[in-house]
Amino acid sequence: MADVSEAEGDREVPICPSIPSGEQTVWADASSVLQLACNDLRDGELIHAENFNLFAAMSALEIMDPKMDSGMVRTYYSVDEAIEYGAAPIPLSFDKTVDVQRVIDIMDHLLACEATWHKGCSLAQTVFSCLYLLRPDRTSSHALLHSYCRVMRATCNAVVCTVSDTRTNEEEDLFTMTHGLPLKVDGDDKCLTMLHAVEETIARQLRACKATLSKKRVTEDIEPLQNNPDMEEGFCKSLLCRLRFRKHFYHVVTNMKRPQGRGLELAKKHIACCFEELESMIKSAEFLKSINAPGTLEDGMNNETTASGCQPVGFDSTLNSRLSAPTPPRAIETISWKKAAEYFQKLLHELDIICSYSLDPVFEGVLRFVVEFQKFQPELVARAHLQHLLVQDGKLYGRDSVFAVICKASLLPEVAKNHDIQKNETVVQLGQLLITLLRVLCTNISWQRRKLGKILQDWRIIHVQLELAFRKECGDISATSSNENICMKICRQILIWVEEQTYWIASRFLMLGFELDLYSTGEYCMVYWYMYIILIKLAERTHMRAMTSNEISKKKGKKKRDLVKDGGKDNQLPPAILFLQCHVYLAEGLTMMLAALRNERKIYLSTGPFNSEHERFVQHFELLLKACLPDQVSYYSFEETTAHACLSSLSMYNCFKETQRIAKELRSSFSNDSDKMAELRRIEQVAEHNSVALSLISRLGAVDASLKVQFEFSHHPFFASVVVKRS
Amino acid sequence: METRSENEPEVDIKASEIKYVSYGGEHHLPLIMNLVDEELSEPYSIFTYRYFVYLWPQLSFMAFHKGKCIGTVVCKMGDHRGTFRGYIAMLVVLKPYRGKGIATELVTRSIKVMMESGCEEVTLEAEVTNKGALALYGRLGFIRAKRLFRYYLNGVDAFRLKLLFPRVEPQPLNSMADAGDESFEYKEHTHCGENPPCCQHNM
Repeated sequence: MADVSEAEGDREVPICPSIPSGEQTVWADASSVLQLACNDLRDGELIHAENFNLFAAMSALEIMDPKMDSGMVRTYYSVDEAIEYGAAPIPLSFDKTVDVQRVIDIMDHLLACEATWHKGCSLAQTVFSCLYLLRPDRTSSHALLHSYCRVMRATCNAVVCTVSDTRTNEEEDLFTMTHGLPLKVDGDDKCLTMLHAVEETIARQLRACKATLSKKRVTEDIEPLQNNPDMEEGFCKSLLCRLRFRKHFYHVVTNMKRPQGRGLELAKKHIACCFEELESMIKSAEFLKSINAPGTLEDGMNNETTASGCQPVGFDSTLNSRLSAPTPPRAIETISWKKAAEYFQKLLHELDIICSYSLDPVFEGVLRFVVEFQKFQPELVARAHLQHLLVQDGKLYGRDSVFAVICKASLLPEVAKNHDIQKNETVVQLGQLLITLLRVLCTNISWQRRKLGKILQDWRIIHVQLELAFRKECGDISATSSNENICMKICRQILIWVEEQTYWIASRFLMLGFELDLYSTGEYCMVYWYMYIILIKLAERTHMRAMTSNEISKKKGKKKRDLVKDGGKDNQLPPAILFLQCHVYLAEGLTMMLAALRNERKIYLSTGPFNSEHERFVQHFELLLKACLPDQVSYYSFEETTAHACLSSLSMYNCFKETQRIAKELRSSFSNDSDKMAELRRIEQVAEHNSVALSLISRLGAVDASLKVQFEFSHHPFFASVVVKRS
Repeated sequence: METRSENEPEVDIKASEIKYVSYGGEHHLPLIMNLVDEELSEPYSIFTYRYFVYLWPQLSFMAFHKGKCIGTVVCKMGDHRGTFRGYIAMLVVLKPYRGKGIATELVTRSIKVMMESGCEEVTLEAEVTNKGALALYGRLGFIRAKRLFRYYLNGVDAFRLKLLFPRVEPQPLNSMADAGDESFEYKEHTHCGENPPCCQHNM
């Protein structure tokens, strides 16, 4: 209430609102009304009105409560006031050594702020807590600081653009909130020229200092960076790696934005440089720490935001707090400089993976790449860059039309991609679904799973719509005859592929549940059962796609060569199907083992006072059931499969042994594919482990009640390894 | 997030000594507020509590031991996209009294009232690190329906937990209840939505 009484006593002060009065609004002094209301209301009371109910009252903030009133905890009321009070001096010190030291601290703290921003805090409360960044013109007399601030703003701007363009941020919407911040400043686009000039000067200063040290004659007359000759080399080096890191990182983000992945190769080179400079920055910490606290070299405090361990000058995170979010801003914790450096190493590693990607034209390959990439748990910035590469101008890599991608994925011949059917409205819609799928796969996995569950329905519907549309375009497509036209082939193949894709999405949806820790042990049985039936369907469709496409090419081949010797080979499943078969067997094995344990030992039962397993089943698979994936599946089908499982019959028909056998055989087929080889190894490990566990439980389980069975994910992210222990 | 610690001084109590009381009026409000303030980190204004206890007094319960309020549960219920849904907003039991089934009893009482009032399901959010809460709700039949990325302001993810009641055989007047899963687009990522920020559960 202090503000109110102040205003009361000082009525002459004109009201200078930052938002001007509009046509229908006008600013008025409400102090006296407020004062009267305050006299009437006691603590904890609010006016209750038709348009201000109890729900609305929840949004009330208690003024002067430091937890709620974001305006309360602040040192200064404005940036100008902070500057007036000397919070951001230029130069930072008239002692040149201290000036350099403080600039380095600012650079380091900015790096920590940048990482904190990338990890989900607002730009206003992190990077733009720097008073120097907020007043771009002020730094112009300080070339070093000025150039650093410019490249910092330009980098943030580039990153914000990538993230906003790709809209990967979905629920991470704090990231792109830049309202009221000087993010785009005239001249920042030329930041590299300025940075380069400063870098040159310091490089020369370093050379001069080294020459002096080795008693060589200095040809140029160069003014040293600062006053202390013993520290000249250390300071020059510390600054150079920091400046160069910024330069290369800016190159990375701008090159990665170039269309059709044209900048990837160059970006990759800059990433390598970033790694080097980051390494030098980490090394420089020793020097920077030693000048501030000689003798205490160990990392006593790990939460310092600068390499030197000193508090930086010129930051105030409370100034911008009103700009930061729609919710009351809270105090945020800036991550340490050390953690920030680690974060950038991780980010660069992920960006490097993107830059090394071969732009696989086969959709299946794209999916696999994204799924593998997500295993690193990349943060928003890395994911946004991935999506930017994958989807540009509604095309894959901004290069391949969606219809061409679909034709290729459906194993259709090259000519198909120019067919007029791509203009069909439903086919266009399918293309949009494909783009959406790619986008969704680039989001964080929590959000991704929810979205995947939701789009399943769309994929189901498009299948039905495509069937109708195709029938209209080319007549009956179910019959295959030797003289069918290309239109029919396209329709049939695409339909199979759409179904296959739908089951792929469903399987990813189920598997992500493990990564997100959504299933409890009591629910594993039903989850593996569902995975089992989805994977079977997926394998069937994949097989069907390969078979029908073979028929097409075989017919063609026969025409040309009259003879195809493919006798015995048709009976054997192709490696890609056998690979899926491994997953099918693992899921089946785990389902039946869990079912037997539930039936015979009464463990891992899913019970509760308010509902039964049936409700849990319905909740977990609601979206799959709603999309009829697969048709006619229900809790009763699960119950039917598992009700009679018993340990003795399981050892007779051991799915794990079968998995092991197939996985071993498959090794030779995938020797050139490191990802698949790694997965095969994981599969083998789980299968071997569980096979042993199963025989142990079957042998001892019935007699030894002290045998404890647990499930761990030590070998595979979603196929559990069964651990048997004696309690 | 705090979880029950084994090192906490054990309080010697018998189950019969715990008295459970339904919310009875404004005189109970300071008791609930003190408990929540003491155990949970999020700041709630008095108006947040009033919203819940004034509109759904029948869903709020307190546990007393020798006259001292040692635990509370605060809930609400209402229509959510065509589903009549209960929501557990806060659950707190003082540390020395944890592990004695008090939280389970409190929350069970609320859930029963929700069920009798015709709720189709009950939901809540819990931090992914709050093992105690997850285990308790798991035992009661809640599933972890989804994970909410960085839901809490401290950057921790949350699980949305859900308990679906067995479907009552459709009655002529009740056939509208079929809109079952419309809850999907629940606006969970902002904290200024339907529920107060970061409702928490410590018991």
